[in-house]
Amino acid sequence: MRTSPANIASAILTYGFVGLMAFLSVFPFIWMALGATNSSIDIIKGRLAPGEALATNIANFFTLVNVPLVFWNSAKVTIFATVLTLAVSSLAGYGFEIFRSRHRERLYRAMLLTLMIPFAALMIPLFIMVGKMGLINTHIAVVLPTIGSAFIVFYFRQSTKAFPSELRDAAKVDGLKEWQIFLYIYVPVMRSTYAAAFIIVFMTAWNNYLWPLIVLQSNETKTITLVISSLASAYYPDYGVVMVGTILATLPTLAVFFFMQRQFVQGMLGSVK
Amino acid sequence: MDIFARAHLSRIAALALASASFLAVTAAEAKEITIWCWDPNFNVAIMKEAGARYTKTHPDVTFNVVDFAKTDVEQKLQTGLASGTADALPDIVLIEDYGAQKYLQSFPGAFAALSGTVDYSGFAPYKVEVMTVDGQVYGMPFDSGVTGLYYRKDYLEQAGFKPEDMQNLTWDRFIEIGQQVEAKTGKKMIGLDPNDAGLVRIIMQSAGQWYFDKEGKANITGNPALKAAVETVGKIMSANIYKPANGWSDWVGTFTSGDVASVVTGVWITGTVKAQPDQAGKWGVAPIPALSIEGATHASNLGGSSWYVLESSAEKAEAIDFLNEIYGKDIDFYQKILQDRGAVGSLLAARSGAAYEAADPFFGGEKVWQNFSDWLAKVPSVNYGIFTNEADLAVTAQLPALTQGTPVDEALKAIDAEVAGHIQ
Repeated sequence: MRTSPANIASAILTYGFVGLMAFLSVFPFIWMALGATNSSIDIIKGRLAPGEALATNIANFFTLVNVPLVFWNSAKVTIFATVLTLAVSSLAGYGFEIFRSRHRERLYRAMLLTLMIPFAALMIPLFIMVGKMGLINTHIAVVLPTIGSAFIVFYFRQSTKAFPSELRDAAKVDGLKEWQIFLYIYVPVMRSTYAAAFIIVFMTAWNNYLWPLIVLQSNETKTITLVISSLASAYYPDYGVVMVGTILATLPTLAVFFFMQRQFVQGMLGSVK
Repeated sequence: MDIFARAHLSRIAALALASASFLAVTAAEAKEITIWCWDPNFNVAIMKEAGARYTKTHPDVTFNVVDFAKTDVEQKLQTGLASGTADALPDIVLIEDYGAQKYLQSFPGAFAALSGTVDYSGFAPYKVEVMTVDGQVYGMPFDSGVTGLYYRKDYLEQAGFKPEDMQNLTWDRFIEIGQQVEAKTGKKMIGLDPNDAGLVRIIMQSAGQWYFDKEGKANITGNPALKAAVETVGKIMSANIYKPANGWSDWVGTFTSGDVASVVTGVWITGTVKAQPDQAGKWGVAPIPALSIEGATHASNLGGSSWYVLESSAEKAEAIDFLNEIYGKDIDFYQKILQDRGAVGSLLAARSGAAYEAADPFFGGEKVWQNFSDWLAKVPSVNYGIFTNEADLAVTAQLPALTQGTPVDEALKAIDAEVAGHIQ
């Protein structure tokens, strides 16, 4: 690359812009981490330096919150939601792409339309259904409505377009049944698609707030998002404690993302190996 | 079906069964009273204390206090009531006073009327008014936001004012003092968040008026108290004796940092004021300034909430008896929550207890709780109506224009139009 003044100027602009964006997205995290080490009053005063209150904040968080139980609840809901959503929605995405029928596209479009209905509109009917089933205040009620995810079905169908039909034909010649083709051929081939979908579903389930808030009724069933919300809305919230809670709540999604980063990028690019 | 598939199926079935039992949560036991409220250090802790007291004399009744954020309690209550799913609701719920009429009027029959059971004459009248619909009283009055003028004795002394000079002020005198304080000490008189109409509400209620009249109709353009309140806040702004704050935390920072000479707000701020040990002895509390119009008083209120029993509750009788025994009669309980949590209840008889009678060294030995208790009984009753929050937004939208010289009547017309839009 020649270093003409125009090139240098554009490089400065590019890096300046990228740097600014990076700062904007990283700053809240820095602030959260610094906040966890400061007392609530220092946070209110806008102190932006590491403080000495970290141990106190952690101790207070652990006294106020039954941490093992809350994380256990969140983990339970998230793992069940993720596994079931991936299982159901990938089957649906596979089915939509592989099997032809007269009503396929109409059905598919109808399903995509459901993406446009805001959850707030579905909430009360859904709540009545769950109430009639006697599932209020259970984790089943939290997981159930998330399993059939139109977005994940859409995502799997799009990715399935890249799934070579020759593989399926060859498997059929070898005498595999449809479910065996799905389980032994499709799933391993679509690994990176699953990984990307896993991250998306995991994060959504872990951070899910409104629906768990509506169906969960007791301290024993609450997930981490509800607990942090309750801490943060006190008349005088202890922001140091809230920051500790937020950091702990961020760790699992962070870990999942870092472990599966490579597959996530591949999945997003839609590669099939 | 081949063996392979069968093995898989049974494994899947086993997994499904295991997960079902794994996810299930046992139902609540009989005689357990479930309560929803917010703030683990305040309402939740206080309700746990109340529950423990009741269980001592009624060992068969236990309590399950569930804490959610305030907006979350409202969201859940709204969904539960709207869906008509009774078992989705608690036995007792905490509702903020400003929102009480909205729930009581939107869901008639959803809350238990306590008129025959509770002796409401023992409570601050304005708290009872908040929960009255068509002559029936619902709910148990809880914490009060009775207001006071907290002022820095040291700053005011530098400006030449003694504590006696701070008693029974008018708002015009308050502004004059503020100008003196700034000239002599360089400190602003008061912290003000231009996006919060709290001060307007305080001043308006002190003269016995609200955004709505007793029938719930909008009371804006012809409301002398609202007009005077908006004018007063406008004067404070144009006299530039205020330190602007952006949001609640920033506003709290204006006085915890020592940047302003006074605070006008609800009694619940006392704990925050006292959380600065280096300011001990420097604060005093006086009645808030009054307007110079008919019906003006030195007593008002900001915030506060109350307990309500759900009509659908399976433990309705126990829940009502519990509230009546503890919140309606137990003077000692009110001493305990004042000492431990800084909570000022609305039961007037509570003032005769030891905690209320104690002098507070932080305020230079003043009997602040006795004073607040005096003012509590004098807070004028108003009807908070259904759209207080909407009216608040309309008021804050007009505050900047006022400082730039827009006539008050014009601002009131704009507020009225905005509120009328919500009521239809």
